Amino acid sequence: MKAAAFEHHEPTTVDKAVSLLESLDSPTILAGGQSLVPMLRFRLARPDTVVDINGIDSLDYLHEEDGYLKLGALARHADVEDSDLIDEKYGSFADTAPLVADPQIRNRGTIVGSIAQADPKGDWGSVLLAHDGEVVAQGPDGERVIPADELFLLPYDTSLGENELVTEARVPVPEAGEGSAYHKLKRKTGDYAMAGVAARLVLDDDGRITDAGIGMTAVDITNARAREAEAHLEGERPSADLFEAAGELAAEESNPESDEHGDASYKERMIDVLTQRALGDAAERAGVVKRRVTP
Amino acid sequence: MSSEPDLTAEPEEHQHADDGGPQPEKHCGHGRGGMGEEVTRKEDKRFITGRGNYVDDIKKPGMLHCEIVRSPHAHARIEDIDGSRAMALDGVVAVLTADDLLEHDLATMPTLMDDTQDVLVNDKVKFQSQEVAAVIAEDRYTAKDAAEKVEVEYDVLEPVVDAEEALEDDAPLIRDELDDQEDNHIFDWETGDKEATQEVFDEAAVTVEEQMEYQRLHPAPIETCGAVADWDPGKDKMTVHMTSQAPHAHRTLFSQVSGIPEHKVRIVSPDVGGGFGNKVPIYPGYVVAAAASYVLEQPVKWIEERSENIQTTGFARDYDMTGEIAATEDGVIQGVKVDVLANHGAYNAAAQPSKFPAGFFNIFTGSYDVDAAYGSLTGAFTNTAPGGVAYRCSFRVTEAVYLIERMVKVLADELDVDPAEIRRRNFIPSDAFPYESATGWNYDSGDYEKALDKALEMADYEHYREEQQRRIAEDADKLIGIGISSFTEVVGAGPGKQCDIAGIEMFDSADLRVNPTGNAVLRIGVQTQGQGHETTFAQIVAEELGMDVDDITVEHGDTDTEPYGLGTYGSRSTPVAGAAAAVAARKVRDKAKSIAANELEAAEEDIEWDRESGEFHVAGAPDRSITITEIAAGAYMNSPGNEEPGLEAVNYYDPPEMTYPFGSYIVVVEVDRETGEVDFEKFVAVDDCGNRINPMIIEGQIHGGLAQGIGTAMLEHVTYDDNGNVTGGDFMNYLLPTANEIPNFETGHTVTPSPHHPIGAKGVGESPTVGSPPAIVNAVVDAMSHAGTSHVEMPMTPDTVWEELDEVGLSISPSENVSFEFDDGASEEPADD
Repeated sequence: MKAAAFEHHEPTTVDKAVSLLESLDSPTILAGGQSLVPMLRFRLARPDTVVDINGIDSLDYLHEEDGYLKLGALARHADVEDSDLIDEKYGSFADTAPLVADPQIRNRGTIVGSIAQADPKGDWGSVLLAHDGEVVAQGPDGERVIPADELFLLPYDTSLGENELVTEARVPVPEAGEGSAYHKLKRKTGDYAMAGVAARLVLDDDGRITDAGIGMTAVDITNARAREAEAHLEGERPSADLFEAAGELAAEESNPESDEHGDASYKERMIDVLTQRALGDAAERAGVVKRRVTP
Repeated sequence: MSSEPDLTAEPEEHQHADDGGPQPEKHCGHGRGGMGEEVTRKEDKRFITGRGNYVDDIKKPGMLHCEIVRSPHAHARIEDIDGSRAMALDGVVAVLTADDLLEHDLATMPTLMDDTQDVLVNDKVKFQSQEVAAVIAEDRYTAKDAAEKVEVEYDVLEPVVDAEEALEDDAPLIRDELDDQEDNHIFDWETGDKEATQEVFDEAAVTVEEQMEYQRLHPAPIETCGAVADWDPGKDKMTVHMTSQAPHAHRTLFSQVSGIPEHKVRIVSPDVGGGFGNKVPIYPGYVVAAAASYVLEQPVKWIEERSENIQTTGFARDYDMTGEIAATEDGVIQGVKVDVLANHGAYNAAAQPSKFPAGFFNIFTGSYDVDAAYGSLTGAFTNTAPGGVAYRCSFRVTEAVYLIERMVKVLADELDVDPAEIRRRNFIPSDAFPYESATGWNYDSGDYEKALDKALEMADYEHYREEQQRRIAEDADKLIGIGISSFTEVVGAGPGKQCDIAGIEMFDSADLRVNPTGNAVLRIGVQTQGQGHETTFAQIVAEELGMDVDDITVEHGDTDTEPYGLGTYGSRSTPVAGAAAAVAARKVRDKAKSIAANELEAAEEDIEWDRESGEFHVAGAPDRSITITEIAAGAYMNSPGNEEPGLEAVNYYDPPEMTYPFGSYIVVVEVDRETGEVDFEKFVAVDDCGNRINPMIIEGQIHGGLAQGIGTAMLEHVTYDDNGNVTGGDFMNYLLPTANEIPNFETGHTVTPSPHHPIGAKGVGESPTVGSPPAIVNAVVDAMSHAGTSHVEMPMTPDTVWEELDEVGLSISPSENVSFEFDDGASEEPADD
């Protein structure tokens, strides 16, 4: 790799990192480096200074606390992949982690870094949206909590301030009758999504959907919610017809572009398919229904 | 992994010969690491302990680094180049442009097809990322920084990247520097008998036609190209360590281009991290590094980046083909026609024997006994990187095999005949060899039906056919497709009178020297890039001389010490240099016989060679024996008066014919009707490469080649946009398969020796790359052919497959076969549609 020269800083506390971000000229944050390093290699990114947060041990966590599943800024995709807690309670996270890139990238790349990168083809943004999640940012003026719905603005652009460091991503601990899933279509291991859908359902004892979240990958300028599909689900009992209608609504709400990952029409159709699949998994994981696939 | 090679089948299938001459011989393995033994690869110790020595590992005192400035435009005239800002950077030694090279007559270089390519662009850029200037600096980071500061003014011209558009009347003229060039047409080429073929088609009961594109691929070796050039003004000698598949041919070309006498040029190809045809041509980077070293009198290193490799060095394929078959109602093929439009890029820089503008493409009648065949091909210039190299392929045989194996499937579907059965009806019969094809190829040996039968059995073919019908009947969400490819390869170029590279006949060589202490060094004219020559060539000698394989060192890749050879590509090493090694060893054995007679105090005519024991003995007295180790001592310390001292031999082998390895591959896929995703259910590969030197290495070669075949069929494509930008020029966009995309392979083999090869061997390295893409495409087509699908283009990414599913009415929504059941017993049925 022949990157352009840059200054490398290695703070060991969040406070130090934040003050570096404030004092340095157009700094870039390095966590897992799985997006930044290739951009440095192609010289698409030419930061003067890099603030490497890998030495901030306090950001390395994945646990439940105060009603949230919390992922510190140094939690790696592989940490999610290997977590028993995730396996037991967070279907969409368990689905997503092994689908991110390849094992080498998952060993280094972070969930928070992926979310802050705000690549519309990234997976975690959709999961965060489907779960009504949040990120926690530290800046010169202290801590700020940003709901996922208010985070993503444009490709690679978020509502984070220049001097803010995302320290955590979090989603509410699932309630009874909740299930979630993520489905992704890709051309090969290591490739970004052609399309992806995260779905979360909460079912009451009667089998009726009381809450639904659907996040979509790679079919809009940001990770995007399928709000009409979500609204259509609420109050209904899971059925093939219901999920088919939700799939169609989600496809209509998506705005994919034709590119190397396929034609827009194909991606729209796949949003339909993946939404149905993810909803089916989520409903089943909610523990109220059994799904039968025939034949 | 999958099944073990069936070694027990091998001895009984070997042909026996007694005279030790250039005939297939019995090779069962004698425990010394000879023919047929699974000797562990000698080269692996250094690779797996991190002691490999690749070009980028070479560091020389005072070595400078070269970075190439490349054009962002595909077609543009250069108005001005200003290197002053680059020169102003600390550590920058030189900025070179075409003007500097013109002073030394190095501004252009010949391609392997006798075209002339700019080393650095003299006037007009003809493809994106073409070499415009070069920066030489003290380290590679400074060189890269400085390259960004070279200011180039371009007058941007309209590009054309599509071959068909390039041949239209109003297309921009790419090669306006050539005197007689008025359009982008390069050449037309014909093969076969047009009239006879037309007659067959006119009278045939059945004809089928299909258009198919063999997309542009890149060999993408993991080690990119590079060189360390070191001009020694004290010796007037140029030494170039470079990533070369053909060091001697490159030495001759270097000498011709530079004017440095050939005996003052040394090319060293050290460990090479994959070639696959990409490292056969000469590239501007090599020439620039050498020119810079010559001018600056310091060593200069040039190492290509990944995207530079994919975007500018030899691509492969890019054939737009239309195939036709004429047949009887019973599916007996009578005629084959093919028409091709070939995109050669901005220069005609294909890597193939010079008398074969379309390589060996005219072997497109494949494994079938065809009465008449005709092929026509047009080559075109476009504003894309030059190439047309033989990517793990014997000069366009990959395209030919794809065409015929796809067309046979098209014919089978048209007639509703099983694809295995239709192949049986058309195979060249095993007793018809040697066989001359309708386009003039002389097939040496083959038993195609035997290989197909074995593959069908291994694949459990009937079971999958039943499963396929069951899924169709039940309207299942996943369809089964079964694809077959019964390919024939042609490898081992020469003969020298037919095949040459830049005028040099395609023989190859071996130089065997047995030391006084009984071990030996074999130097060969071919060059390994992962094929395992250091092991397999030692096995050939071990077999011929009764030596232990560990007592033989194989050297290659250094033109100062190795005998002249044409290099490794087109599966030619074993057919040509392997033959040379066997013949050189037999020459040594002949001489050893007279020394044995001297040592054993017997008449030479009474001395017999015993292949089993690896010893000479006196006829009728097996206990009066002597080994090559003892003979070696005699050759140096007690030489007989009637022989020169020493025990050495050289052989330059010009093959009488090529060899024709073959095989049958069967691929079973499951196609997801909702998404178009394709999963491999079964992957069977039965290969026949004649007598087998090292079954383990063959197995490895087959696995690697099949992986590349899967990459070809499913993922890989060098794409361009209309502005001539390479959109598939890095590993984010040029999709190589990983282990996750590769299924279990079940390999098997039959053994049909080559009758003309000294050890009955044929080449094998590229069979899987050549043979597997049509099997995979045939499988995907087969999953949908009941609904009318006749073809799916490569790479068969999910969207491509889904478009076809949708086209023939097979695409479905998940709702069609899902239902939900509640704990209270209520159930919601599948949707109506």
